[in-house]
Amino acid sequence: MVLEQLTGNLLQGLVLGAVYGMATMGLSLIFGVLKVVNVGHGAFIMVGAFVTLWAFTTLGMPPLVAIPLAFLIGMGLGFVFYYSAIKRLIKAPELASLLATFSIGILLEEIVKLIFGSEFRGYNWVVPKIDLGVTVLPMSKLYAFIGSIIIALLLYLWFNKTRAGTAMRSVVEDTEGARVCGVNVGWVYANSFAIGIGLTVASGVLLTMFIPVGINPYMGGGYTLKAFVIAVLGGLSSPYGAFFGGLVFGLIENGSYTLFALIPGVEPFALTRFLSFVMLLIILLIRPTGLLKAK
Amino acid sequence: MRKQSAKYSPFIPVLTIYVLIFLIGKGVSGMWQVMAMLTFYCALGQAFNIFLGMTGYVDFGYVAFMGVGTYGMALTITHLAERGITGPAVIVLGMLLALLFPTLLSMAVGAVALRLRGAYFAIATIGVNEGFRYLIEGAKIWNGSEGIIFMSELNRVLGREAASSLSTFWSDVFLFVIATLAALVTLYFMRTRIGYALTALREDEDAAKVMGINVTKYKIMAFITSACFAGLVGAASWALKTPYVFPPEVFEIHYTIEAIIIVLLGGAGTLLGPVIGGLIYGLSKYYLSIFLPGFQLLIFAPIIIIIIVAFPEGIMGMVKEKAKGSSLARFIV
Amino acid sequence: MKNLYRFAVLFAFLAVLAFTTTSVAVDKIVIGHPACLSGKYAKAGEQAVGGIKACVDWVNNVYGGVSIGGKKVPLVYKYYDCESKKEAVTSLIARLINSDKVQVVFAPYSSGLTLRGAPVAESRKMLYMDHGGANNKIFQQGFKYVVQTIGPATRYHEGTLNMIHKVDPSAKKVALAYEDSEFAKMVMVGAEKRAKELGFDVVFKRTYPKGVTDLTPLLSAMKAARPDFVLGGGHFEDGQLFNRQMADLDINVKALSLIAAATLPAFYKALTTMAEGVMGPSHWEYGVKYCKAEAKRIGMIWVGPSQDEFVRLFKKALGKDIIPDYHAAEAGAQVLAYVLAVEKSNSTNSDKVRKALGELKFMSFYGGWDIDETGLQIGHSMVDVQWQGGKRVIVWPEEAQTGKLYYPMPTFKEKAKGKLAIP
Repeated sequence: MVLEQLTGNLLQGLVLGAVYGMATMGLSLIFGVLKVVNVGHGAFIMVGAFVTLWAFTTLGMPPLVAIPLAFLIGMGLGFVFYYSAIKRLIKAPELASLLATFSIGILLEEIVKLIFGSEFRGYNWVVPKIDLGVTVLPMSKLYAFIGSIIIALLLYLWFNKTRAGTAMRSVVEDTEGARVCGVNVGWVYANSFAIGIGLTVASGVLLTMFIPVGINPYMGGGYTLKAFVIAVLGGLSSPYGAFFGGLVFGLIENGSYTLFALIPGVEPFALTRFLSFVMLLIILLIRPTGLLKAK
Repeated sequence: MRKQSAKYSPFIPVLTIYVLIFLIGKGVSGMWQVMAMLTFYCALGQAFNIFLGMTGYVDFGYVAFMGVGTYGMALTITHLAERGITGPAVIVLGMLLALLFPTLLSMAVGAVALRLRGAYFAIATIGVNEGFRYLIEGAKIWNGSEGIIFMSELNRVLGREAASSLSTFWSDVFLFVIATLAALVTLYFMRTRIGYALTALREDEDAAKVMGINVTKYKIMAFITSACFAGLVGAASWALKTPYVFPPEVFEIHYTIEAIIIVLLGGAGTLLGPVIGGLIYGLSKYYLSIFLPGFQLLIFAPIIIIIIVAFPEGIMGMVKEKAKGSSLARFIV
Repeated sequence: MKNLYRFAVLFAFLAVLAFTTTSVAVDKIVIGHPACLSGKYAKAGEQAVGGIKACVDWVNNVYGGVSIGGKKVPLVYKYYDCESKKEAVTSLIARLINSDKVQVVFAPYSSGLTLRGAPVAESRKMLYMDHGGANNKIFQQGFKYVVQTIGPATRYHEGTLNMIHKVDPSAKKVALAYEDSEFAKMVMVGAEKRAKELGFDVVFKRTYPKGVTDLTPLLSAMKAARPDFVLGGGHFEDGQLFNRQMADLDINVKALSLIAAATLPAFYKALTTMAEGVMGPSHWEYGVKYCKAEAKRIGMIWVGPSQDEFVRLFKKALGKDIIPDYHAAEAGAQVLAYVLAVEKSNSTNSDKVRKALGELKFMSFYGGWDIDETGLQIGHSMVDVQWQGGKRVIVWPEEAQTGKLYYPMPTFKEKAKGKLAIP
């Protein structure tokens, strides 16, 4: 019985982990290229969630179609914020960019609240469910899983097979060296930031396919913290690392619930959270470059 | 003798500001709570600045130290009240525990996190903050998520009258004392070897190491000191002023962010910076909540962005630059 | 010398002014409120402000004002935004007491913030009325001036258990799954106690952290315990998540009752048919049968607007066409309780009004109102509300029913096919 529960939880964890991982890719990309930690990360996920909500309820668009829409909106936001604020802060002490990204997050929350109100909303995309015996999976979760993998693959192709992508990778490796080689670093910064934000907003769509309720302006906070843990797990500078980190995170968070539930007198859920942060600390100590081998 | 006191002359403007705040609070009716709120922010900023300002490291899990300080005081009061021990000595003992707990936690955190730099350090400290909070809730330590509500125990320990004046007046007086002490300690650090070592490592940690400075030792000193002050602030402003502790509240990352905003606005690494930052932040929040209820954050967020972009060194940092060479320079540090 | 003379004149003038102003009779009564208009309790705070405004409007314009000292004086309502944060609460209360000269302070929403403001109010001997703090422990601290209008947390699910016990004695197995926060834990404590008293078998008892984003592990474990019905919840977003993920995992039970979230209109909007048949305890719901005739029938004093009047005034106060929920009703009822107590004691002195509140027992659109000597609310009973065909129906207690209970709840498959929980 426990084994059944465990398998079920692990499956769910894998699916959710893919979404989490995809959500963190933007964070890792931005840090890798610009060395800026986007503390407002969760707020952009929230924006993605609202885009989905709006697209579904007002335009009647199914969430899958909302993904590219969200990505474009995200890129737009990314460019706006890069040129208005982030650009000037790359040379400043990193504390300044931390605070700036945090304030941007708050600004987004308040603007969304102004437009949509602080009500908790959701939408209902009617899709069939698959009964796997050990657990039940609605198709929307499966779509989210597949969507995350596809986007991760696309990103991989872009980074490795296109000139623009290679230019970005070179900046991650060695900014000065790239500059010397003729790479337009400023352009790379702007685009990386925009793509990173675009990815984050798009992940909000996928996330709502997993959890289509409870959408409100302040929903981002919890995701930011998770994203930090996942980003570190995968190596702060590596977007694919983030994806795998997400999978690992999902597996461990869900799987450990079953194990903690066997201990009497404790609250398993809170302990899974505790475990994830212990993982974080251990990784940081032993292998700060993340679980994957450094590229 | 003159040279000695001249070293500490930057303390004078800080002390003056605090005394002024105190007098306004006492003198003008109804302003005490407002002044107490301002002092809270100044104290928070000063305590945070001891580590952030001097080393440049961002401890994103700072609020955890405030949290355990609060628990230290709360646990002392509830346990001693149960055993029938009363009197002001309980509060003093609480303060000691509010110093002990953060010291222990910061030593544990320091051992792990201080090996890391920059963003890794920041994230590791978030890990500690959240991890600790979930440990308390999950393992039901100290009453777990139900927290501790101890107004009645406080009444038993001090008597209703004294407990009431503690919660509404004396706990805030403690805050003044803590803020002033934090300023003194900051100045002391700045003016002695510790300060030179920390400034060196803030500028370039590897170079400092090469020069033979024991970087780890000084980082830990600053870290523990900063944590202890946080514990005292928590004990005074949360435990004594508000006799309840709920884990999600005392580990809320929001307070760390506020500390960062205050220190950055005012100027990290300066003495007056956190004070000015605390005043600006507290007053803006207060007046915005009165005149534009519901819209504070909407207005505040872009203002912070603008200030950070325009003045990355903070307000005092800018003032310091302008005041260089003038006669006021020795007061502005 | 001339300056000294001028100064003396000014001083004398001010002294005279001070003495004359203090002996002026009460010409208005000011209510102070550090409300939560932004931050995590923004929704509840906005509702509360609307409810208070609605009742203040009624008192001033329909009731004619508060009768005190032989005159009728108007109520004035002064409120600020505490951002749902501790720090601002004390300074705003101090401002209300000192600058705005309020005669009573309404606490901010939530048990924590209520507790935060209590010491300041107590030290100034200011009446402090609690409309949003349900934690019982508030009233075990020895406060003298705190009075509760909201029902205590431990009673939230008592009615639900009573109802199921009566309707289906064969449903023995209950699962308790609550948020791990002080309020929800208190509800769980009360629910567990009542369940054991009634002979139920608690087959599952777990909590989840605040701000959880995925309940699958907990719900999967709950599914394995095969409960007959489920009680749980916490605040708003987790309630929606709970219901949704039960649907995702295809967990079918005979009844599901979630606190806080389930009775709000946003719940059904977000979940649509998945919420059919889902229940929640509520302090008040539009449609309750409390009215003047009912009060007369059971021999209680009636005060305040009728339910529809309250809704009308509420919409007017907020300028929006939204139905008030229980946050608005309990805050509004507080205004009525205060007015009655002031009139009863013919004074705005906190000690006298507090004493009058202790002796007061009345009914309003909100329901019954009566406090015990610690200030805890004992006269108000909760109702259980069920979603039937997209509408909220009050199904328990029987004297407050607006429709029959639909039991057992349809399965999620049936609901997806469009089955509605209409009896």
